Amino acid sequence: MSDYKSVTISAGRGGWGGPLTITPTADKPLIYSVTGGGIHPVAAKIAELTGGEAFDGFKSSAPFDKIAVAVIDCGGTARVGVYPMKKVMTVDVHATSPSGPLASFIKEDIFVSGVGVGDVVEK
Amino acid sequence: MTAPEVTVEEQVLYSSTVTEVGEQVGMFVGDHGILVLFGADSPAELHDFSALHEPTVASAGPRPGDVVELGGTRIPVLAVGAVVEANLVNLGHIDFKANGSGEADMPGDCNLPVGSLVLPQPGDTFRILRPAGPVATPEDAS
Repeated sequence: MSDYKSVTISAGRGGWGGPLTITPTADKPLIYSVTGGGIHPVAAKIAELTGGEAFDGFKSSAPFDKIAVAVIDCGGTARVGVYPMKKVMTVDVHATSPSGPLASFIKEDIFVSGVGVGDVVEK
Repeated sequence: MTAPEVTVEEQVLYSSTVTEVGEQVGMFVGDHGILVLFGADSPAELHDFSALHEPTVASAGPRPGDVVELGGTRIPVLAVGAVVEANLVNLGHIDFKANGSGEADMPGDCNLPVGSLVLPQPGDTFRILRPAGPVATPEDAS
């Protein structure tokens, strides 16, 4: 599993930020899905294309330094800021833009939103 | 209609008990007028700024006109974003914003009147209630 590939993730319709290039490594292998209903299809697609390991954040916890990218279904207040604040690349499947108490951490080089499965492409 | 039901005044859409209140919740409520709730099984990195809770009823999310009951305080719902219900039912997650606005800026926003938020305490009840609509009244009230 040392042969990881890169993907480019772009903002979808109404989305903001990015594009982000995600390349898991042996030290940061996790595609961390913090979403309702298990691994989100966007996280599954990233894992499939990169060779990273899809991980359900609601089932168990992972150290931040193992996370290649966090996939969230945040409505714009909390999770959109938490992962960027921790310097974790963040993909929101909902079309949010920087807001909430942690808005200052949400930058285009670490956050992208409105992302659907079709916005994840091999680099 | 033989069910021994008393006249229902409000429908309970969601019922839960607060189990833990993160260190930053007071700052979020006091400085930003925002209260974030998450289910108690949410990842640890979300706990600092969240009130955690354990629902026993999670049948639906709020809509404008419903009432949020938090620790005995009743607060009217003004606006609800498109993803509020999914987040609440799936993750126990909701973002209350006491901004007085009748339109949700973000898809996860549930807007409440300015100054209406209370700081929850562990053990508080959190419910979402829907006032009785103009439905057929039960005929046999006894």
